[in-house]
Amino acid sequence: LSLETYGWLVLAFPLAGAVIIALTFNVLPSRAHGVIGTLAILLSFLAAVGAFSELQSLGEEERQVVAVGWDYAVTSGVDAQVSILLDPLSVFMMLVVSGVSALIHLYSVAYMGGDRGYPRFFAYLNFFVFSMLLLVEAANFLLLIIGWAFVGAASYLLISFWYRRTTATAAGIKAFVINVLGDVGLVLGTFFIFQGTGSLDFLRVFAEVDQAFATNDGDLVAGCLLLLLGAFAKSAQVPLHTWLPDAMEGPTPVSALIHAATMVTAGVYLIARMHPLFEQAPAAADVGAILGCATLLIAATIGLVVTDLKRVIAYSTMSQIGYMVMAVSSASYAAGMFHLMTHAFFKALLFMAAGSVIAAMAGIQNLDRMGGFRKAMPFTFGCMLVGGLALSGVPPFSGFFSKDEIIALELARDDWHIVLGVLGYVGSLMTAIYTFRMIFRAFYGEPVEEARELEHGHLYHAPEPTNPMTGEVEDTDVGFPGPEHHIAEREFSMKLAMGGLAVLAIIGGIPQIPDLNESLHHFLEPTFADSRFYDTVEPSGTLTVVGMIVGAVVALTGIFIAYTLWVRRPEVPARLQARFAPLHTFFVDKWYFDEAIDLLFVRPAAWLGRFASTTFERVFVQGALVGGASGLVGLAGAAVRRVQTGYLRYYAALLLLGITSLGAYFLVSA
Amino acid sequence: MTIHLSILIFWPLLLAVLAGLSPRGVAPVIALFGALVPLAYAVMLVVDFDTAARGLQYVTDDEWIPELGIRYSLGVDGLNLWLVGLTGLLFAASALWIALRPPERAQLYAVHFGIAETAVLGAFLAQDLALFVLFFDLMLVPFYFLLGQWGGPERVQAAVKMVIYTLVGSLLMLAGAVAVAVLAGPDGPNFSLAFLRENLLGEGTQKLLFVAFGLAFLIKMPAFPFHGWMPDAYRNMPLPVLAVFSGVVSKVAAYGFLRIVLPIFPAAAEDWQMIMLILAVLSILYGSILAFTQTNMRLILGYSSIAQLGFITLGIFALDAGARGAQGALLQAVNHGLVVAPLFLIIALLAARAGGSEDIRDMGGIAFRAPVLAAMFMIVTLATLAMPGSANFVGEFLILLGVFDSRMAIAIVASIGVVLASVYALRMYIRSMHNRQGPAVTSFEMSLRDGLVIVPLVLCILAFALFPQRAIDAGEPAAQGASRAATGAAR
Repeated sequence: LSLETYGWLVLAFPLAGAVIIALTFNVLPSRAHGVIGTLAILLSFLAAVGAFSELQSLGEEERQVVAVGWDYAVTSGVDAQVSILLDPLSVFMMLVVSGVSALIHLYSVAYMGGDRGYPRFFAYLNFFVFSMLLLVEAANFLLLIIGWAFVGAASYLLISFWYRRTTATAAGIKAFVINVLGDVGLVLGTFFIFQGTGSLDFLRVFAEVDQAFATNDGDLVAGCLLLLLGAFAKSAQVPLHTWLPDAMEGPTPVSALIHAATMVTAGVYLIARMHPLFEQAPAAADVGAILGCATLLIAATIGLVVTDLKRVIAYSTMSQIGYMVMAVSSASYAAGMFHLMTHAFFKALLFMAAGSVIAAMAGIQNLDRMGGFRKAMPFTFGCMLVGGLALSGVPPFSGFFSKDEIIALELARDDWHIVLGVLGYVGSLMTAIYTFRMIFRAFYGEPVEEARELEHGHLYHAPEPTNPMTGEVEDTDVGFPGPEHHIAEREFSMKLAMGGLAVLAIIGGIPQIPDLNESLHHFLEPTFADSRFYDTVEPSGTLTVVGMIVGAVVALTGIFIAYTLWVRRPEVPARLQARFAPLHTFFVDKWYFDEAIDLLFVRPAAWLGRFASTTFERVFVQGALVGGASGLVGLAGAAVRRVQTGYLRYYAALLLLGITSLGAYFLVSA
Repeated sequence: MTIHLSILIFWPLLLAVLAGLSPRGVAPVIALFGALVPLAYAVMLVVDFDTAARGLQYVTDDEWIPELGIRYSLGVDGLNLWLVGLTGLLFAASALWIALRPPERAQLYAVHFGIAETAVLGAFLAQDLALFVLFFDLMLVPFYFLLGQWGGPERVQAAVKMVIYTLVGSLLMLAGAVAVAVLAGPDGPNFSLAFLRENLLGEGTQKLLFVAFGLAFLIKMPAFPFHGWMPDAYRNMPLPVLAVFSGVVSKVAAYGFLRIVLPIFPAAAEDWQMIMLILAVLSILYGSILAFTQTNMRLILGYSSIAQLGFITLGIFALDAGARGAQGALLQAVNHGLVVAPLFLIIALLAARAGGSEDIRDMGGIAFRAPVLAAMFMIVTLATLAMPGSANFVGEFLILLGVFDSRMAIAIVASIGVVLASVYALRMYIRSMHNRQGPAVTSFEMSLRDGLVIVPLVLCILAFALFPQRAIDAGEPAAQGASRAATGAAR
């Protein structure tokens, strides 16, 4: 099969899976849908592997292939076709997305086993994977925006999967609206670029951009900043991040797949894909790098104090994507994509392990209620530990190599980027602390009741399932989170998926080890052949070694601090909390971003709406403008009304008569 | 292939008369037959239409009232091709809905329904200004009766308000039409659009007459701030009638701008461009903001239509060089009709599950035992908010791109409307289908009877989402032709 065929097949399998599941939702037995969904993604992954090998068989110069399906909106210079671009970057993303997705589908087969919405879940999940692959394969702006928005819609559907929870539907609409804001940014950014280059096709735009725009041309910078708006909304970067923690309302596999491994990294992919534009508009790229760095720090501080298990990981995701955004905005493309990949492995793993713990707690996510699960859930603990070590950047786990590569490249830039590199180490320290705070609090200390019961072989069941966020009694009609839960220790498919990811989290660093193996860098090279920085910025040998040592020391220090605080001297955190109460509150309240957005946008809009509907519409439009006509009718009473309507009927009848006679006239004269 | 447009136009009227004379049980079926033939005709048109050719196709051009310079001339080009298709589709869907749920006094209902379709098709196909005005005014009659006799509790007041409002516009337009025909014709009045396009009036006169036509169309749409009649009419009109009314009648107004105003008042269109764009943006923002404060589903859709029609007006008056805005507006006119009609029908289904209430506060949790209904409603909702991947998005993309080209700031302000659309559309969906079950709600799946109407419409939306190119191909030369004079004057 040709490269193009593989490219289409990668898209076709998940779409077919979603359609088949949707059409057979009440025909086939429930379990079959899990199998269909997982198989579809597995086939997609195999097709991606096929595409990879076909791509490698081409010469380096030819590794950018565009396959055109059909014309989509081709008119007056707009050249929007359904076309896919197959190059190292998109094939890399295809492999990561379909590979991780396949494992998460496998996990969901068991994890969602007791849910009444089982077919619906897999249809949505397959649709999501299709959308994400469409996003990464798109060869023009219009198709990219379509994939971009589909991904947002799939995310919305899955966040509010348990749609009887008002918290879930509120989180869903919040995520959707912020994502639409990002879509609009993307659309307007596209307009700026289209206006300059006269094309929507990526390769044509990239070829034109140097002639069309001067360096830091105002239009191009505006366009790139608007693209960043889209990237930031999707990738949960400050200040458009507030939807991501709320998105944890979705089932845990969704958090693993969409809100950690794939969708939220779309912004990173976008910046990397648009690198010729950002290199021509360095001012915009600098904004991206600085905001990425700010995000990684802000999110880490919140991660230090949040007590909800899934939200700790969510803030960690935000923070790690901050690293990636910082990297690709600083032209360290391979490093950004490398971290994207390793992060997908270990973050999906962490979420899966967290899901297992939450299942053992019968849906409770609060760290304050957990403890001592180490013995009761050895496999889950092992996975969490591997994921945690990789996330913290302890050698030789995968995260160590990818994170250090990002920081090293910032330091190698030899200008103000060095500050970003140093702040990267600060973030790295906090990462290790919050990661191991989470692990120590959930798995160490005195076992809680649920853990003790599990040690004796009983999976804890809440007498009455409640919504962990509001305490509201669950409407168990929708099934999960109902009485039935599944933990990794007891489900082979969950074990298999987590085991696979654990292995990847350990060895995922191999493709890119400084001075030893730079195969990822070389693989991606054809995509970034036109980059001004790709091969020129490289840390010196000493810097690399020093950087790696510092990185390892920082990570281990963080873990040591966490160990001291939450295992050796568990009374200290409370004292620290009391001592730095204002700061603690500031972090717990998430830097008041939600409140600020509410005050600046939501409330004025709501107020405007109320004013418009209660005052303006009633007084002005209905009152003053209509007043002359129907107000008169109303005032003059029933008799007049009868006359008026009588007159109108007469008029209508006359009109009808007139038209009929005109028609007759025509017939006669013709 | 010879296709007789007169048959297409008058077939529904003929069958309406037949239905009026037939027994009560048969009338809706005859009316359905009256709507299916035009649909078949419209499909044939769409398939057979030659997108490469310029100018009108399937032309009928006969002398009618030579003393007044009025000709009976009809024709199809890229401007009305897909709108005729939309009209055929929506009237057929609505007729099927009615045939499956016969109303009281079904014969009379069928008569008005048939007249309505004839009037709409006539307005779309007329190539003579007098003929257009005639059909445009004729549209008012059947809808007045359908609203006033089969409507909700405040039907009489609503009907009176609607008629008075639109009558003001209609009379202005009638006067304007007479004026333009008299002033343009060297020897006697001449209403032929082809003639009027060639013999433009002076700029001052154009500006004056533009107002007459513009007001008529803006009221009909309706656009802010001329929408005073809309809330009452939408609240009270029977839903299957409202589906075609909102889906098609408002498009006649948008179409009128492209067919009449831009070609025969190009200089005025250029002069009034900014005012029209501002009115359009105000319609978008005001309509969206009101849509997310309403709780009556009909009004949510009503105000959202104001916003959507705002986008269409925006595209028409983009007057960009490639006429991308006008092309987007044409596409969006079809798209909006295609989504709003099934939405109004879905309201009927939701009300049946929420104890008869059409208020989202009385709904909630309806999705539970109605997964198919929920899926259909979700697809239509996403198309309504112009989700990328829907044809609605392509329409909005082209509209905004066109405006971006000519008036960048307006495009950026208008794009706020895209975000607001996601708020009101999803709010409507969530409050009705999701969350806790409302007290009077019983959730049950939609029946085959409902599905026969809704599912084909949703399939059309999906097909159009995949292949909008066909409609764009037809629209490109026509939209460029329509706005050429106005953009030429602008440059």
